[in-house]
Amino acid sequence: MEWQFLFELSVNGLLTGMMYALIAVGFVLIYKSTDAINFAQGEFVMIAAIVVAGMATNYGFPLIAAIAVGLVFMIVFNLALERFVLRPMIGRPIVAIIMATIGLALVLQGAGPLVFGAGTKPLDIGVPDEPLIIGPLFMTPIDVVGAAISIAFLAVFGWFFMKSRKGVAMRAVADSHMTSIAMGINVERYFALAWILAGVVALLGGLVWGSAIGVDTQMAALGLKVFPVVILGGLDSIIGVVIGGLIIGLVEALAAGYVDPFVGGGTKDFTPYVLMILVLMFRPYGMFGKPIIERI
Amino acid sequence: MNHLKTGLLMAGMVAGVATMATSAVQAKTLIVGMACDRTGPTQSVGVVLCPAYHDYVKLINSKGGVMGNKVKVIEIDTQYKVPASVEAYQRFKKEGAVVVALWGTPMTQAITPNLNADHIPGTSPGFGTAAAANGEKYPYLFPMAASYWSQAGAAVTFAKQELGGDMKGKKIAFIFYDNPAGREPLPVLDKLAKMEGFELKKFAIPPPGVEMKVQVQDIVRRYRADFVISHLFGKGPAVHIKEFKRMGFPLKKVLSFVWGAGESDINGAGGWAKAQGYNALNFAGVGSDYAILDEIKAMYKAQGKDGPKQMVNSVYYNRGILAAAVHLKAMEMAIKAKGSGDITGEDVQKGFLAIKDFRLDGILPPLDFTELDHEGGGWARVFRVEGDGFVPAGDWLRGYRDVVIEMLKAE
Amino acid sequence: MFHRESGYFKTSYQADMALYPLPIAKYTIWAFLAIFFVACPMLLDEYHLSIINLVAIAVVGVLGLNILVGYTGQISIGHAAFMSVGAYTAANLATKLDLPFWLTVPLGGLMAAFIGILVGIPSLRIKGLYLAIATLAAQFIIEWIINHTPSISGGVAASIEMPRPVFFGMELANQAELYYFLMFIMVIAIIGALNLVRSRIGRSFIAVRDQEIAAEIIGINVFKTKLIAFAVSSFYAGVCGVMYTYYLGIANYENFQLITSIDYLAMVIIGGLGSILGSIFGAAFITMLPIVIRLWMEAFGSIFVDDAALAQVIAQFRLIIFGGLIIVFLVVEPDGLAKLWQNIRNYFRTWPFSY
Repeated sequence: MEWQFLFELSVNGLLTGMMYALIAVGFVLIYKSTDAINFAQGEFVMIAAIVVAGMATNYGFPLIAAIAVGLVFMIVFNLALERFVLRPMIGRPIVAIIMATIGLALVLQGAGPLVFGAGTKPLDIGVPDEPLIIGPLFMTPIDVVGAAISIAFLAVFGWFFMKSRKGVAMRAVADSHMTSIAMGINVERYFALAWILAGVVALLGGLVWGSAIGVDTQMAALGLKVFPVVILGGLDSIIGVVIGGLIIGLVEALAAGYVDPFVGGGTKDFTPYVLMILVLMFRPYGMFGKPIIERI
Repeated sequence: MNHLKTGLLMAGMVAGVATMATSAVQAKTLIVGMACDRTGPTQSVGVVLCPAYHDYVKLINSKGGVMGNKVKVIEIDTQYKVPASVEAYQRFKKEGAVVVALWGTPMTQAITPNLNADHIPGTSPGFGTAAAANGEKYPYLFPMAASYWSQAGAAVTFAKQELGGDMKGKKIAFIFYDNPAGREPLPVLDKLAKMEGFELKKFAIPPPGVEMKVQVQDIVRRYRADFVISHLFGKGPAVHIKEFKRMGFPLKKVLSFVWGAGESDINGAGGWAKAQGYNALNFAGVGSDYAILDEIKAMYKAQGKDGPKQMVNSVYYNRGILAAAVHLKAMEMAIKAKGSGDITGEDVQKGFLAIKDFRLDGILPPLDFTELDHEGGGWARVFRVEGDGFVPAGDWLRGYRDVVIEMLKAE
Repeated sequence: MFHRESGYFKTSYQADMALYPLPIAKYTIWAFLAIFFVACPMLLDEYHLSIINLVAIAVVGVLGLNILVGYTGQISIGHAAFMSVGAYTAANLATKLDLPFWLTVPLGGLMAAFIGILVGIPSLRIKGLYLAIATLAAQFIIEWIINHTPSISGGVAASIEMPRPVFFGMELANQAELYYFLMFIMVIAIIGALNLVRSRIGRSFIAVRDQEIAAEIIGINVFKTKLIAFAVSSFYAGVCGVMYTYYLGIANYENFQLITSIDYLAMVIIGGLGSILGSIFGAAFITMLPIVIRLWMEAFGSIFVDDAALAQVIAQFRLIIFGGLIIVFLVVEPDGLAKLWQNIRNYFRTWPFSY
């Protein structure tokens, strides 16, 4: 019984971890290619889900149409954001960019409910709610679907980054803006591309998580789960995101299952941060992050 | 460019000072201060509850006000922040509020000493420190509805009923928000566990509780609870309904405290069909079959408008009605006692105590405030999701009232 | 602040570092003190004083954060956690040992400084954004510990009722009386910060911020400097937390959550990184902005929407305007209100004969 529960807990923790990775990859994508730190990642996921769910419930759009509207919105919104907010801020201190994205988060928190109403909305992407039972193992279908979407996206994304011409150009841009310009790469266009991709991945995250927990502004709290994931893996590593996500998912599950009863409090949200600090003490740039070499 | 910025900033400053000055002017009416959360973590409640309060006051004003005195509501959105709430309270005090509606447990704790010092009654329906229902210690704070302790008593009573009248050796899981408000019912539950002989296991959810699969899995698969009492806020309720459903646990065996079952939570959990059987405590009636709601609709119609769209969320809408109705009733009692509309907070405090058996056509429990008991009796009623809405599962009840009163006195 | 000099005539280093570059600066300061300590309490009512109180509290917190972020270049997203350390320390000392405010305020600050040093230790190895997120972790860990340790938090409700400060037998019970108390602490804090940043330590902060390796080469102990910055910053935060506790009447950790840290970060950046005057501007601006926006909307909002919808629109728009202003500021005037103020001054310096 006990071992079976441990196994079940671990499997479900890992699945949740993959779903965290789906949100975190948007963060890494932006950091890697534009050096901007997006503290509004949770809000991006939230606003994407609110647009889709709002279109579907308030205006009766069919799901596909609502997703299409959400996709167009996210792309347009992120392009505008890149052009009018983040591009003027290139070269500013990190803390200024952090603050700009926090300001953006507040705007989204206010604007979402203003347009679509503040109540919690359902987002049904057709995944059943009954437990999925494989032998002795209980799983929830949305987790399986979410993890599958996550893996599929990361695979496509990995291929794009490693093999396609545009992906290689993006890596070049991430590595050095100056060299890229010298080599004839239109850096600004690739910044825009990075933000578009971030919008798409936020939409996917919004669909999966919105379907898992319902849609309202508090979805943005998922953004806080992202930090341990990305820091653990290293801010600029796609592989790191996957491994970080899996570890955090697992640690959370085990903490809630086995630590909570002893301390009499919810340790699930805070153990990932403790783990993160410990890892940082030994590896200051995460497990797969690229060390920054400082020169005078 | 710089000149333009400078000019704009200065213009803004001047305008700001000007509006601050004009807001000091006020009409000679009864002032109510209402702290609201429309943009913070509990916004899904605030966006329904606060409009309901305004609607009821508008209705009374359209009928000539409270014994001929118009009522003006000053609402301030506090975003569930303590300093903002204290600032709001100072504003209410300055405007001469005779009663204030508080919002949020930590804010209530911060403002309570001020209420006693300034002699302005404040209300905290269904939240706040349970021990503050002791009117002898906090004469100016009126929880006005079942506190978390009373809710715990009612919850155990209901659980006992559902488990066939005997709780010996039964496994009860308590899943709660891991913050002070969430832990508030624990002392009563621990006490009742000993009294009734059931096993109580606690599952803490760290706020904001957007993800709680592991805890639910623990309850369903390892602990194998016979009955679940849940005490969550904000997004938590919708998430835990979904998770219990996904783990195949019958929702008939889940009972939520008062902040866990608005229509929007059910919606967020995927709609009525998915939440069948889910139980929730309430301290005001649920549904729209009440005369007072029809009157509000009629008022809107007379103005050529559709009824308030918040009304579909009857759980929180009716709680807004409860808050407004009791406030205005207390003012009415105060005016009656004083013989004129020139009342102060002290008069309204006595007005609260003069309220006896105020039902408002059954939307309220038989509230009855005494010197000691500022909860009005600690009434609660369980509503269950059946078909396309909430239906009552039993009548208004007070569980283990003696235990709660004893603890109130002990504080 | 308000004076105009006709040029730079400084001949010595001392003159350049002087707090009062001209005698008139001294008079301005005295005028300000007179306005805030004599005129304001006489002319304003309790509500407006309570807003100034909030600003005074915020100023202390922002000064601390600015020393860390603006002067030393170490980003902290855990400032509110240090406030809660100060708040609970003071509340426990005041309730359990009956200590008066002139002990609880510094002791709360010292405890916060101690915790701040512990949190600062990773800054030896962790830099930039990684450090920022490590301080975020500190925020959650401190919050969690307070929430789950009844001996610190005073029981299951995690809030401690704070006795009012007593000044020579007089209890400072309402906002008008607290006003002097909080303003006094604020003035001390401002003087302390002004002197700190132009001292040897303050200059080593700036050196570490501008070029860490270069600072090390010229003989500054970078690690020690960073720890001092963390300690001073946390001390200010702790004092700010104690002030909050006296202001609110309770110590409650829910008042010091991540959102508060973010508010303070916004104050530092809007005010101006690495500027004492900017800290004051930022604290006043961010504290009063939501209130002023609300008053505007109450006054003019009914022109655009009917009043049933107004309350909702006010709340939502306030959030949007607040966030939007932060973004606009960062894009248009990256150096914050301090720089804006300097521009105004430079304009008037040559006015009316600007070319």
